Amino acid sequence: MTIPQYVCFARRESRRSLGRIILFILCIAIGVAAIVVVAGLSDGVREGVRAEGRRLMAADLTIEGRRPLPAELSGIVARFAAEEPRFGGATVERADVREFASVVLAPDKPDASRLAEIKVPEGGYPLYGQLELSPAQPLQTLLTPDSVVVAQELLTSLGLKMGDALQIGGVRFRVAGVVVREPDKLSVSFTLGPRVFLSAEGLARTALTDRGARVEYRAMLKLPPAATGDDAGRLARRIEAELPDADFFRTRIFSDAQPALRRTFDRMGRYLGLVGLLSLLVGGLGVAQVARAWLAGRMDDIAVLRCIGLTPRQVVILFTVQIVVLATLASVIGAALGVALHALTPRIIGDLLPPELIRPWQPAAIIRGMLLGLAVTLVFTLPMLIGLRRVPPVRVFRRDAEPSRDGWAAQGLAAVLILAGIWAAAAGQSESAWYGTLFTGGLIATTLCLALAALGVSRITRLLPRDSGGIRLRHGLAHLARPGAATVGAIVALGLGVTFVFATRIVERQLGDQLRSELPADAPSTFFVDIQTDQWPQLEALLKQERATGINSQPIVTARFAAVDGVPITAGREPVDPVEPAGREERSRRPPRNLTREQRITYGSELPRGNRVVSGAFPAGPAIPNGVSVEEGFARQARLSIGSTITLDVQGVPVDLKVTSLRTIDWRTFGINFFLFAEPGPLNDAPQLRVAVARLPTADLARVQTRIVSTMPNVTVIHIRDVMDKVLAVLGNISIAVRALGWFIVAAGIIVLGGAVVATQARRAREVALLKTIGMTRRDVATVFAIEYALTGTVAAVVGVAAGTLLAWAVVAQTMDLPWRMPYLDMVAGVAVTVLLAVVAGLTASARALAVRPVEVLRAT
Amino acid sequence: MNTPTAMIEVRHVTRRFPSGGRTITVLNDVSFAIDPGEFVAVMGPSGSGKSTLLALLAGLDRASEGSVLIDGEPIDALGEDRLATLRLRKIGFVFQSFHLLANFTAAENVMLPLELLGRPEPRERAMQLLARVGLADRGHHYPSQLSGGEQQRVALARAFAPAPPLLLADEPTGNLDGENSRTVVDMMLQLRRDERTTLVLVTHDPALAALAGRVIRMRDGRVVDAEPAGEAAAAGVGSVR
Repeated sequence: MTIPQYVCFARRESRRSLGRIILFILCIAIGVAAIVVVAGLSDGVREGVRAEGRRLMAADLTIEGRRPLPAELSGIVARFAAEEPRFGGATVERADVREFASVVLAPDKPDASRLAEIKVPEGGYPLYGQLELSPAQPLQTLLTPDSVVVAQELLTSLGLKMGDALQIGGVRFRVAGVVVREPDKLSVSFTLGPRVFLSAEGLARTALTDRGARVEYRAMLKLPPAATGDDAGRLARRIEAELPDADFFRTRIFSDAQPALRRTFDRMGRYLGLVGLLSLLVGGLGVAQVARAWLAGRMDDIAVLRCIGLTPRQVVILFTVQIVVLATLASVIGAALGVALHALTPRIIGDLLPPELIRPWQPAAIIRGMLLGLAVTLVFTLPMLIGLRRVPPVRVFRRDAEPSRDGWAAQGLAAVLILAGIWAAAAGQSESAWYGTLFTGGLIATTLCLALAALGVSRITRLLPRDSGGIRLRHGLAHLARPGAATVGAIVALGLGVTFVFATRIVERQLGDQLRSELPADAPSTFFVDIQTDQWPQLEALLKQERATGINSQPIVTARFAAVDGVPITAGREPVDPVEPAGREERSRRPPRNLTREQRITYGSELPRGNRVVSGAFPAGPAIPNGVSVEEGFARQARLSIGSTITLDVQGVPVDLKVTSLRTIDWRTFGINFFLFAEPGPLNDAPQLRVAVARLPTADLARVQTRIVSTMPNVTVIHIRDVMDKVLAVLGNISIAVRALGWFIVAAGIIVLGGAVVATQARRAREVALLKTIGMTRRDVATVFAIEYALTGTVAAVVGVAAGTLLAWAVVAQTMDLPWRMPYLDMVAGVAVTVLLAVVAGLTASARALAVRPVEVLRAT
Repeated sequence: MNTPTAMIEVRHVTRRFPSGGRTITVLNDVSFAIDPGEFVAVMGPSGSGKSTLLALLAGLDRASEGSVLIDGEPIDALGEDRLATLRLRKIGFVFQSFHLLANFTAAENVMLPLELLGRPEPRERAMQLLARVGLADRGHHYPSQLSGGEQQRVALARAFAPAPPLLLADEPTGNLDGENSRTVVDMMLQLRRDERTTLVLVTHDPALAALAGRVIRMRDGRVVDAEPAGEAAAAGVGSVR
């Protein structure tokens, strides 16, 4: 037979089974859509960051650090440009930005103050992209020594409007404009507060920088148009090599813009990619079921085809062609759905992502989704298709002639093939063999649990005494127990969906609860940072006057590790990517990262609450002066142990400390905690600031903040509640995405259940006819069916909720090490919702069987 | 009559089925031969092995012992693919329950073997055959839109489409009423005469069997009485050769 012949026959063969075809397509299309959306989003961010890197950074190259940039930078850059003939004498443009957080207040309103992120631009900022302002004038025009440009959010929260006064660092400014869009700021990144643009002259009017505000300095460079991406890299390397104190600065080039964002999306893409795969696999179960029912109904026709002269191979190819055509169609529909959903994401996740990073047309993602759709369909249907070669043509004479079963070896081989396929898909989706293995293992375990439960229930219902309970209950139970009921597949599919959605929901709920309400009653409400030592008595008095409790303050000395046990720390450049340091080789050569960066050290005679010494003693006693207590985990990473000597470089002055104890910290107290806690003495006279915490009545927070800022404008006030709310908002955005995908799985599970019902349609119709003939009303029959679906749903729900709870517990209690509470109410709700869904889906799918008139069916058989 | 060119030759065929731990012998040492162009009726009560015999003749089933030769070729040793080709080229079927492909139209059902054989203009040939069974205007109908008698006539057209030398018919009128039975039988015998087809007909109906050139009677898996050819003609029924 030729291929066009196969296609032609396949088309004829699959006519007039629209319902089944729709189910088949739905099963696969949903999973494909999930995969395309996830892969498309992360590819889109990757591509967008690459294409928009310059704009996202507003520069070709940035150099940033926590100290002013050395004057030598300009010379290095100028020499680089001059030595490059391709630039033809063009110079490198430079803009500078200083950023810091500070509490600003509305001086003409009572108690209106807010923590804001202040940005002081100089030069031609932004070098790339547009800073959109209202009124639409250049920033340099709007910003004068006594005016500011602010985010709308700040105006709203302080009740201000354009032209009103805003006080920063004790000085009054006029609001001259509103920021509409800022090129080098992503709304996904975590911020402490709304933006305020301030001129350098304006900043100089305040005393903020002199009084210890933690300022981030950034130089932004724009290469001449003739420059290539390589030039940016070469200039970056040159700056790293030639800039004095290069260790204190970080260079970043546009092609590596937003590494944190890209990494986040890669990681989320991996995780969500597996979730998408799971929904596709559940769909695969459904396809297997639909295909099995469909092929079972085709047995007679296959026998006829064999009689007419089709070879077994031709029969297998004929039906494989049909499956491939359907799978392709389903994948195309799924991919289209995925692209459409992707295009809609801005509406779903709000302004989480800048719109230019939403790029729905991602051919690689679309192809990946379609190939996976095709592969999953084939993997799940191939064993059945191959089994078709065993359909005995003698069925034309003996209807009961069944295909001979494949041997154990063949069945085992098929199982191994399916698992290998799943593993390969999972490893591909997560780009990790290990995650692929975990995923496959988890899937096998959950599926086994669900299948065993399903079989167990079917066995138990068979053993139940049939003469107890009402007739409807009895029939419903009998349906479930009937041999060959397609319920096992439906239970597995639905159960997997429930497991996943439930686990996600519980993890999210418990994390949220932790952040929302699990603050210990005596936890501080507010942090005060950047306090000058001489300001502390005044601030403490103010806090006491405001009836603050739990007031605690610690000095902070910033220093670097110069040596450990006499071995100098050659502070390598801070890796551009702090989470995934360069190659392994480089990592081992470099000292542990936490030794090379700037440390914040405190001292005192008493450890704060929640600190527990696990070895050594604090204080160590007069015999060992200059003792320091180190947090256990930090000590492990930095390879410090009791007796180690740390030589600190405190702004040029060497100070030796001896590790005398290791301690653990209960971070949940939200107190002031430090990895390094020295005994009083050596650091007393070092340059230092103070940090303080206090607990204030919620109602007084705004007034106290305004009072502090009016008298001590350099002190930054951070309310823990505000920070928590921001974290919750970010967490909420992420969990929306995860949960939405989870519902894809449930949807696939429901469709599979519907498919299982449709698969038994003919038999159900016959039963309905018989039951009606005997005298049952349609409502009676519907009740019988509803009981059956409710039982199916209950098994899936109970096992799914149990497995989901276990999974959530593993994440919350084991991985995140947070207290665990049994979510009893959620568990009950989860079971109830699942059962309801199962009944509704089942009855919807049985509508046709229920509507049948007895005479039609009985006459036909 | 046992010539080397017999259309069908059955030699000492036995067929046993395992059934619930026991073995049932459905055919027990059956032997006979059928010449090309002959019309043979196989009669016998239910369970006497008629259908099993027919399945063996078509290579749909395999004998436990003995051998079956079609057109001089032993088919017992043939693989599934060779058997399929053999059926495609040499054997047409008509069944009691019609066995039309439900998703194919009447014309497509008839075209199917022609297309498999790669014959030119299958649709034209199919329409001619449908015209010969009186269904020229029903080609685009699906089997479910046809009456039983019409379905069986489509099945006849399909069976004769590739002009097979051998037609196997299993109770072709078993599901039809008297009127439709007569039409189908008339058409089948007419086509057989026109195409010079060997016909093996399994039936319960003595009147139908009486039309055959020869009757093979079966009971309990054995041939009990093979009526010599020509006897029916002598009885005045009229030869169908």
